Formats: sequence, structure tokens, C-alpha cells
Amino acid sequence: MPKLHRSAWLIGTAAACWLLLLLSSLSQGRTVLGLPADWPRWLLLLAQGGFAASVFLYARLQPNPLVGHGFLSLLRRLFWRGLVLTALLVAVQQFGQLTAERRLPQPGDATATVGYAISLALFIVLLAQTLYIWRSLVNFRGSSRLRREWTAFELLLGAVMLFQLFVWQSPDFLQVGVITGLGLFGVYLSGHQRWVAYLSQGQKMQAILLQLGVLGFLTVFLVYLRDAQADPVLLAPPTQQAFLVLTSFFAVFYALAGLLVTLFNLPIADVYEQRRAEILSLQQLSQIIQRGQTAPEIYQALFTSAVQTIRADAAWLDAQLQPTEQLGPLPAPLTHELPAADLPVLRTQLATLLVDGQTEITDNDLVRSQRLAGLSQPYGSAAVLALRSSTHDYGVLVLLKKEQAGFDPEDLSILHTFTTQTVLSLENLQLAQEARISQSAQDELRIAALVQERLIPKHLPTDNWFEISTYAQAAKEVGGDFYDFLHLPGQRLAVLIGDVSGKGVTAAFHTAQMKGIFHALMQPNPLAKKDRERYPDPHRFMVLANEALTHCLERSSFITASFYLIDYEAGGFSFARAGHCHTLYYHSIKEEVSYFRSEGLGLGILRDASYGRHVKNQFWDYNPGDVMVIYTDGIPEARNASGDEYGEERLARMLGESFYQSAEEINQHIRHDVQEFSKGLPLHDDQTLLVIKFKSSQPQG
Amino acid sequence: MGPIMKVTAQPADTTLTLLLDGELDASSAVVLDTELNKPELLKYKKVLIDCQRLSYISSAGLGVFISHLQRLQDSNVKLVFFNMQEKVFNVFEILGLDSLMTIVPTEQAALAA
Repeated sequence: MPKLHRSAWLIGTAAACWLLLLLSSLSQGRTVLGLPADWPRWLLLLAQGGFAASVFLYARLQPNPLVGHGFLSLLRRLFWRGLVLTALLVAVQQFGQLTAERRLPQPGDATATVGYAISLALFIVLLAQTLYIWRSLVNFRGSSRLRREWTAFELLLGAVMLFQLFVWQSPDFLQVGVITGLGLFGVYLSGHQRWVAYLSQGQKMQAILLQLGVLGFLTVFLVYLRDAQADPVLLAPPTQQAFLVLTSFFAVFYALAGLLVTLFNLPIADVYEQRRAEILSLQQLSQIIQRGQTAPEIYQALFTSAVQTIRADAAWLDAQLQPTEQLGPLPAPLTHELPAADLPVLRTQLATLLVDGQTEITDNDLVRSQRLAGLSQPYGSAAVLALRSSTHDYGVLVLLKKEQAGFDPEDLSILHTFTTQTVLSLENLQLAQEARISQSAQDELRIAALVQERLIPKHLPTDNWFEISTYAQAAKEVGGDFYDFLHLPGQRLAVLIGDVSGKGVTAAFHTAQMKGIFHALMQPNPLAKKDRERYPDPHRFMVLANEALTHCLERSSFITASFYLIDYEAGGFSFARAGHCHTLYYHSIKEEVSYFRSEGLGLGILRDASYGRHVKNQFWDYNPGDVMVIYTDGIPEARNASGDEYGEERLARMLGESFYQSAEEINQHIRHDVQEFSKGLPLHDDQTLLVIKFKSSQPQG
Repeated sequence: MGPIMKVTAQPADTTLTLLLDGELDASSAVVLDTELNKPELLKYKKVLIDCQRLSYISSAGLGVFISHLQRLQDSNVKLVFFNMQEKVFNVFEILGLDSLMTIVPTEQAALAA
């Protein structure tokens, strides 16, 4: 612990110097320690200077007592110390006077001399405390230039001590000149009262009282020392007058200036300028968001604002470091006073620094921590801020300062505001982009839905020998179910229903295709010899459709379909089932509900001539009152909340309950039951339900 | 939604048994498709599909088998399903796949097929 060591040395030196000071003071007019009286004046000055230097250096070595914005606690600490020191001074005086009352004091009185030496020591301690607390306040949010100026001020004060030690017989005008010059320097430094701007109204009152207290203590000491100089009893030992006067002057003047600034709210241009810069930067950032700028512009705005406001010596913003989401082309890394050769060094070191989801790293002593070593220039402090939202990384901002302790909590909170704002705007930008994309996709889907809507037959065929009712509901915007009718000449009706495997737009495309195939195949064949052969029978229809689909259906897709050709004159229908759901039928003569269980392979599964063997043509003679229910698997596979399927049995029961009603009523009865079954659940699959009811033959017209 | 179906491959000398566990729908079909796409699949004489734990099959799931059917046939690899639950079998049956694919009740029958 070299620092502790140094502190111990300084305390020891101070004690030794004070003893020397005391002894040489006592030697005036008497022998001390067996040595001749009247030790030389330079020894006394040296002892005094040594003591002052040790005490000041000790105070200087202490860590910056200002934590965050704890100005008041700082002042309070100074106040209490001042109070204790003043109390000690008064105690020493009282003691001296008590002894003086008992006997007549002689010039060079030993008690008075000891009291004076103690008082002088107390004063020097108070001055050191005050000076270094003022240092914290002067340097609060100060530039590195100000810090250098302060160091110069300290060095000059030290020089004044030596000056008086060796050149005490210098001409008065030189002394006056030097003191005036340094005094003016102190006045200039006293102008740095930035901290006042950070006080609240209530804190200002307290600050004023505390500063008044400190001024009071200093005054007590000064008055005492002035009196002591003129005290005939004391034989007025010489003092390091120039140093003490200057330091006291600065201590008092800074307190006074702070008091006035606090009291009258005097604007301190610098502070307000900086605050204004912060506000402007924030405004600039928000404006960029409002204008909906691009990502590079947002990054640039953050970078400029941060570098200017924080007055960084070097800076780097890399959007390419740790990005998780592309916001269009990523902007090139932004740099400020940082050679390109440093970037790889920084990049590798940051990668190790920013692990474990850390978003903010401040290092105010890079020399000791050895972080970010290997850069082309040495830096004293660094702030690293990751631009990170809960879901994304947008890059890293690095700010560097040459001096140590360059980033105080205030700087970080400003930077934090900046980065938060930036992340927010980048996120907004991203959301806006996503919304635009999804909006256009939504528009496309809406168009697709409209197109599909147009494909659904709007005008149901009507005739006096049948009723048709239809219901179709897609699970998504567009569906894979399809149905169509064609009223053929000679009181014949072609009905097609089907389901494309898969869902969404791809499926929707194939439904359109099937509709095209249906209408193409149902064109009357002019070469047909018999009227019945003008149109393909269901088996042939399926074989032709399968062949047509071979060329346009992807290998893993297939289509299920049922095709019916109903002939009123023959009183029957032929049909073929290609993997589609079994037709549900109400047989009015047998008064029975049953499924047509027939074989038949879906379309697109076998893509060669062998398909014909896997599909069958079937015939059925219907009677008036018979009901045919044709549907897609969305109906029997509808699910309820516990995951059960609606099922073919329940469907059959519904027809059994409603067969005597009109086609529309039967349809409603079934679909209401299905909807009741899966109440409150989103549609799992497209649903299509066609009900055809054969009516008693009625004379036409 | 995570993968709701697990595919376990049990290779033997001339047969490969794939155990399907769960629901075979559009999302889990990818898993099965990857399995069936492996080139070494064509070394076997038979690929047996154990459907005992297959509780549901969607059209996308059927699509996987359909898309591999021709390729397996061309390479003389026989695809045999066994232990199929009734509900799943109904789906195969309605689509007419039972006439195209070998679906048998037990593993012994599958090995013999």
C-alpha cells in the first residue's frame, strides 16, 4: 500500500516540522535544548513551510471527497471540521488567558508561544481542508485544461513558500506583484462554481448557511492571527505570510463567490452553456426520430451529441459490433480522434469486456486497470456503453478521455439518456420497417382473399328439382377448400368439391387451378357421338385432372376431391371420390343416414397412368327427399377445447335430426352445431359444407 | 410451438425402423422429411414405420410419405406401416393411400411383408 505509506510519512514529517517550529519559536530570547537562543529565522520559516507542505500534500493525496452530486455532504463535512478546529483554537486561547491571568505575561511568554504554534497548525489544517474541498468543487465537470490550471495554481502556491524562504528580503514591489498575480489567479479559479447549478432550491439554503459557517471559521482564525502579529507578548514570530495570505484569500474568496452565486443565482455561463448543449443534443436526437430518419443518421446524431457534450478526447461508435438485427446496410464505424489502427485493438478488448450482458462500463483509472491497453495514445479513463434493448444489440459506443476520473456519474447519466433515446429510435425504426413489410404482405393477402372470393360461385344453380345450400369459411385469409357447380344442358348438374393439402397462399393458388381444370374439362366435346358422352364421366374427370395437376403440383402436395354428375332425367347421379371425405347421404325411402364408403386415391399422389386404377366411378339412384351432404375435413376434424374431434358420427346425427327441412335449414343446423362444438376456438382448418336436397318432381314453368 | 413429434431410427441389417412419437403435422413433418431424405435410407430393403405412438397425421404429414413414395419404389425399398391407430388409419384410408402403401397390423407382419 504505497499510498498509506506516503500518508504516514507526511503525517510524520508534519509532526516533526511542527515540533521544530515550536522549538524555534520558543528559542526566541531563551535557550532551548541546551542550544543557544534565537535560532535562525530561516529555520522557523522552513519548519513552518515543511509543516504546511506536509499537511497540504496529505490533503491532496486523499481521494476526491465529492461523490456524485453530494455537494451538501461535502460542505457539511468541511463545516464540521471547521467547527472542531475553531473550537480547538478557542480552547487554546482560553487556556492561554487563564494562565495569563495568574501571572503577568512577559514578552516571549512560553505558554503564549506554544498556544500560537498550535493555533497556527490548526489554521493550516483548516486551510488545507478548505482548499482541497474547493478543489473538488472547482474541478466538478471541469475540462482537462481546468485541471491543469489547478495544478499550476498549487505549484505556484508551493513556490511562494520557497520564495519567502529564500528571498525574504526581496523588494516589496516584487512580493506585491507576485501576490497580486496569484490572487487574481485565485479569483479566476473561484469563477468555477458549476456545482451550484445542480442544487435544488432547498439545498441552496443549506449550502449558503454552510458556506457562511466556513467563512465564519476562517474569519475567526484570520482575526486571531492578525491580532497575534500585533501582540507584544507574542514577540510576533515571522510566518509564511505570502503563502498563508494567498491560501486564505483563495479559501475565503471561493466561499464568498460560491455564496454569492448561490444567493443570487448568478448565471455561470459555462454551466448553462453545457446544460444547453445537452438539451440541444437531446432535442436533435428526438427530432431525428420524429423525422423518421435512417439508422446511419441516428447513429451519427448520437455520436456527435455524446462526443460534444462529454468533451471526449477520442470516441468510437461501432454499429457492426454485436449487431443482432440488420437495419438495412449498417453504417461504417464512427470515430473521433482515433486512428484506424486502434480499432482492431479496441474491438478485441471490447469483446472480452462486454460479456455477461453488461451494458455500461466506466473505468476512471485505465492506467491501473490495464484495460484498453495497446492503443496508440495513452488514455486515463473510458466509458463503454452498449446500445442494447431487451431484444437487440445495436452496437457499442466508446468514449475516451486522457485524464483519469474523466467520467463522473453526471456524464454517465447524460450518456445513458442519449443511448436509451438512440436505442428507442432504432427500435422504432425497426418496428416501422417491419410494419411496412407486414403491411404490404397484408395488402397482398387481402388481394389474394378478394381473388379467391371471386372464384367462389356467386350464383347457385337453381331448378325445381333440387335445392342447394353452401357454407364456406377459411381458417386464414385465404384457404385451400374449393367447390364449384356447373349447370349442364339437359337438366344435369356437375358438382365439384375439394381440398388442397397445406394452407395459405400456396393452397389458394391450387384451388384457382382446380377451378380452371374443372371448367376446362367440362367444356362440351363437339365430337361426342352420344349426348351422354359430351362431358367426361367422374372417373375420367379425375384421371384427366390428376394428369393436369402432375405438371403443377409440388411433390409433397396433393388434392382431395369429389365430383358428382347429377342427372335429373335419369333420376340418379354418378360420382367419383379422389381421397375426399365420404359423402353423407339421407336415404328417404329407407329413412336412413349413411356414408358412401368408396375407394379412391387423392389427386397428385400417383403421377402416372396407373392412377386410373385407383379411382372408381359409382352410380346412385336418388329419390325425392334424399339429402346429400358434401363437406371438407374441416367439418369432422373441427376440435373442441379438450381437443376432441367433431367426428363423422355427430355429423350424421345432425343430418338425421334435420333431413326433413330445406337444404338451407339443414346446412344451418349442421354448421351451428359445429360452431357450438368448437365455440371460442379459432378455426383450425378451412370448412366447407354443401347440402343438396332432391325434391319431388314438379312440372317446369 | 416446439417439435411435437419425435422420430427414432432403429437400423437393422436390411430394415430400418422409424418410430414416430407424437403428432405429425406441418411443423413436425420437417423432422420426418429430413430422416427420409438421408441417402443411406436407400441401402435398406425395407423401411418400417412404427405408428404405435403416432396420434395424429395432417395432410402435410401425409405429404411427406407421398413425396418419398416414388423415390423409395424406384430404389426397390419397401415402405411398410404397422401398429397404426385407427384414427390415423382412417386418414390413410380416406385418402386412398391404403391401396398404395402397405399397412399391416403388427411388426411381425411388417417384417414378413
